[in-house]
Amino acid sequence: MTLRKRLYSPEEISGAVERMAGAIREDCRNAGCDDYALVGLYQQGVPLAERLCDALERLTGRRPRMAKLDISLYRDDFGKRSALPLIRETVIPFDVNDTRIILVDDVLSTGRTIRAALDALTDYGRPGVIRLAVLVDRGNPEFPIRADFVGFDCNPPADHKVAVQFDADEPAENGIFEVEWKKFNE
Amino acid sequence: MEWTRKDLLSLYDLSAEEITFLLDTAEEFKKVSERKVKKVPALRGKTVVNFFVEPSTRTRVSFELAEQRLSADIVNMQAQVSSLRKGETLLDTVRNIEALQVDLVVMRHSTPGAQDFIARHLKCGVVNAGDGAHSHPTQALLDIFTIREKRGRIAGLNVTILGDILHSRVARSNMWGLLKLGANVTLAGPSTLVPREFESVGVKVCHNLKEAVRDADVVNLLRIQHERQASGFFPSTSEYARFFGINRETLKLMKPDALIMHPGPINRDVELTSEVADGPNSVILEQVTNGLAVRMAVLFLVAGCVKK
Repeated sequence: MTLRKRLYSPEEISGAVERMAGAIREDCRNAGCDDYALVGLYQQGVPLAERLCDALERLTGRRPRMAKLDISLYRDDFGKRSALPLIRETVIPFDVNDTRIILVDDVLSTGRTIRAALDALTDYGRPGVIRLAVLVDRGNPEFPIRADFVGFDCNPPADHKVAVQFDADEPAENGIFEVEWKKFNE
Repeated sequence: MEWTRKDLLSLYDLSAEEITFLLDTAEEFKKVSERKVKKVPALRGKTVVNFFVEPSTRTRVSFELAEQRLSADIVNMQAQVSSLRKGETLLDTVRNIEALQVDLVVMRHSTPGAQDFIARHLKCGVVNAGDGAHSHPTQALLDIFTIREKRGRIAGLNVTILGDILHSRVARSNMWGLLKLGANVTLAGPSTLVPREFESVGVKVCHNLKEAVRDADVVNLLRIQHERQASGFFPSTSEYARFFGINRETLKLMKPDALIMHPGPINRDVELTSEVADGPNSVILEQVTNGLAVRMAVLFLVAGCVKK
């Protein structure tokens, strides 16, 4: 049996996205930069980045540029999994050189995905500044990586997973969930 | 779906979904080669041995470059300098290679099935780079990739493979891959080189050039090896060129946007004239470019499933 507990509702997510957008705008304004770009990490970082772009457009009247990044070729667990998923399409429609970039992912866990994303991104050029925005920081870093913009902090047991669902067919399925994976043979 | 195979031996073994998965993966790798930094760290720390028991230049170079762009460490072995010449068996040779903690063996061999045989005995991954007249899966994948890129689909297309079908692993691999993805395949050439037996697997066999190319969306030309002439399969290369070569006049019989493909190396004025080889219908050099992307995809997926 799988335990699935909703931690935050879609309304709470919307509020958090607005707060994060405000903080991103503030940070960029303090740096004197109004020409920044968001880079969403597959899978759920992409729809989150789109929502942040929507919110920033409402706030500033100007939509930031946005990219989608797949980090499959930069992971540190290559060969440790039994099957490989399809690589998704990386789309970076701007020059990353000297650009102020906000990396966007749904959940910050070990920090390994972000490490891979930094390597991937720097293969496209030399960004000016990279910040990190996550909807949930679940607080078990294995790498010295911290987020700059955080929607929620939570601290579930290490063997539980935090999952974000944005666009399920059933609205009741959307939200941030704590999931306990039970192995099939247990 | 997810990829789970540690070997790529033949397209005959793969499902349509697996072939499509490989092609989709190759699309992303094609973009890597278009970047300023043409290298990714995916196979960092992995060792690949290119073991070419049968000589090869273009396939080996393509594999080697693909491996380098994936950051693998590479060892190249050729039969002429290997212990096979000192009487060691193939299995002993590859077991010695594996004992060096190698992750992948890319092998070409003149004996059909040689790669299937070693793959059964090795924990490391095996990629078939051509075995006799049996199979050359990465060549077929790059051909199919090129067709899909140009036409947006494979299903329902008329693909004619023209030339020495009898001795061709490229023809067989293309045939299986294309059939699985729903293309209509015609095998064409002189009757001595295109046996009727192929009809039993669901392809059309045709010994008349005009008929073979008239409705084709793609014509894939195979190299005519001069040594076949000595064996009496056809009287002369010039006679072959007259009856089965593609030239300006043959192009007029074809659909105006038909693709002309060739796995190389081309014999100008035998399989096709220079005008055709360098003309607007030809995608021969794009095949070479795509070969790199396809081989990166294959190596990446296969290496990811090797358990050590």
